[in-house]
Amino acid sequence: MSEQATPLLEAHNVTVRFGGLVAVDAVSANFTPGELVGIIGPNGAGKTTFFNAISGVLAPTSGRLAAHGRDLTGRGPHRFAAHGVARTFQTPRVFADMPVAANIEFGLKFAGKRRRKYLFWGDEVDVPWALRDATSILALIGLSEQAALPAAAITPSQQRLLEIGMALATRPKLLLLDEVAAGLTEAEVEEMARLIRRLRDELDLTVIWIEHAVTTLLRHVERVIVLHQGRKIADDTPHNVVRNPEVIEAYLGDEMAEPGSEPQDEEVAA
Amino acid sequence: MNSRQILIRDVLVLLAFAGWALALPHYASEFVTSMALTCLMYVALSSSWGLFCGSTRYLSLATSAFFGIGAYTTAILLGQFGWVETIAIGAGIAVVVAIVMGAAVLHLRGTYFAVLTFGMTELILHAVTYFEKSVTGTVGRVLTVVPENQVIYLTVLALAVLAVAVSIWVRRTRFGLALMGIGADEQRAQTLGVNTRLVKIAGFALTAAFAGAVGAAMAVRWTYIDPHTVFNPFIGFQTVLITLIGGVLTLWGPLLAAIIFSVLAESLRLQFPQIYLMSLGLLLILCVLYLPGGLASLRWATFKSWWNDTRDWAKDLKRELSGEKEREKQRAKRREKESHFV
Repeated sequence: MSEQATPLLEAHNVTVRFGGLVAVDAVSANFTPGELVGIIGPNGAGKTTFFNAISGVLAPTSGRLAAHGRDLTGRGPHRFAAHGVARTFQTPRVFADMPVAANIEFGLKFAGKRRRKYLFWGDEVDVPWALRDATSILALIGLSEQAALPAAAITPSQQRLLEIGMALATRPKLLLLDEVAAGLTEAEVEEMARLIRRLRDELDLTVIWIEHAVTTLLRHVERVIVLHQGRKIADDTPHNVVRNPEVIEAYLGDEMAEPGSEPQDEEVAA
Repeated sequence: MNSRQILIRDVLVLLAFAGWALALPHYASEFVTSMALTCLMYVALSSSWGLFCGSTRYLSLATSAFFGIGAYTTAILLGQFGWVETIAIGAGIAVVVAIVMGAAVLHLRGTYFAVLTFGMTELILHAVTYFEKSVTGTVGRVLTVVPENQVIYLTVLALAVLAVAVSIWVRRTRFGLALMGIGADEQRAQTLGVNTRLVKIAGFALTAAFAGAVGAAMAVRWTYIDPHTVFNPFIGFQTVLITLIGGVLTLWGPLLAAIIFSVLAESLRLQFPQIYLMSLGLLLILCVLYLPGGLASLRWATFKSWWNDTRDWAKDLKRELSGEKEREKQRAKRREKESHFV
């Protein structure tokens, strides 16, 4: 694991149990500033449950969570949001009756709220320029034209973008993306991947990205965590992960492991 | 209209209503004034109820509990404290009870929340009854020191105006936005940084403060109170009904419905008590079916769409009755048969 900086988010032996079922089994992971991490695993591997645990939506049965070295185990999602952990949901959960711009403003008024320059007026301090207000966030995610429409009236793929925008409005340091590319067309997936890379590069966000489309994910991330039956079976670069025998057996299948079939992954490793 | 214009409009409308209510006792009869008092009481109760329960969609049936707590505060303390202090204490005790109750049940949603608040109301009612019987040895209490009717009227009027003013104000604050977010998607609001637990308890306590204050002010009207009159669950139900009929999310809905309701109540209750309850039920059913936004969401377009729906329905009926529909079916069948031959 990386030693160069203090981790933004630390998960230590996080376990989530639903009755007799162990959904997440003693998973430990550190996420450092500026990382782009992917989480993959077969259906029911505990990816989303792990997300729920590290965003505070679900309190872990045991284990420890800390953001910036501060212990947040068992705290509510609003505490995680206040410490810069933002997330999207698998199915877009936008405020359907509110206009698109109001959806963005919601986050700006709560977890994204910052101290103003002169107590009650002036610009907010410590805010990235691209996240300064709802208009700029809409421009960043490319929904400027839909700003006045109610969120229920835009297309599902636009709602996914809006989800990301709502998360960005909390001015996060860590962005958790739960299958943001599911159900999108090939072109839209590429667009989404480019947006995610841009967020990471321009805003210095740490991004953790769950995706079912493994090939797309492996092409864009720098580190992959593989979950299988709740346990972490690999945590490495995509290059190494696709050659990991345990991962191949559990998930990827043989065709992914053949050297010829993964030209995309070379450029990441390089 | 921008938001400042809306604010000005709302404040002006509120002032106009308040002025009208203020002038009423000077020219209207005793009967009309007492009707207006009931009306103002329900304006205060339902506006404050809609403030929390409307935007968060938490259906609370505990209004009568807070009302009763306020009434009993007056019954016990009015001799020793002044009028305003007593009302403030009544509101304060209701707030404390609401915070404890809210901390216990506000993590539940929907029916469970509604049933539990109702259950707690019953619990408080029976606790007070038991306490009165076994400790103080009375069934009810007689209020001896009673302020003038005019004072009661003005107090309830002030509470009603305050309730509407607070609704206007809360809608424009972060607190109101947080309540809206909780109603739309609680978990999403949480992940965007809203401390939902705190916001819900605060909202519930705010509702309770009004119910408690109104209870404390209205107690003196009865001169004799016992637990079953002031903890009457009907007060809670009526508050919910009025708000639903008027429109839970609207500012003026509860006020409009409270006026309609009190006029209906006073004019029908004495002559035809059954018809009064029936018409209330009928109004609720009609509102839920055809006007989910409540009376205050009525617009010209609503009438137009109703008219269109009725016309379409009549056209359909006419086609059916004249046998045209049947003939059309047969024609379609014949066409299909013919296409098989080809």
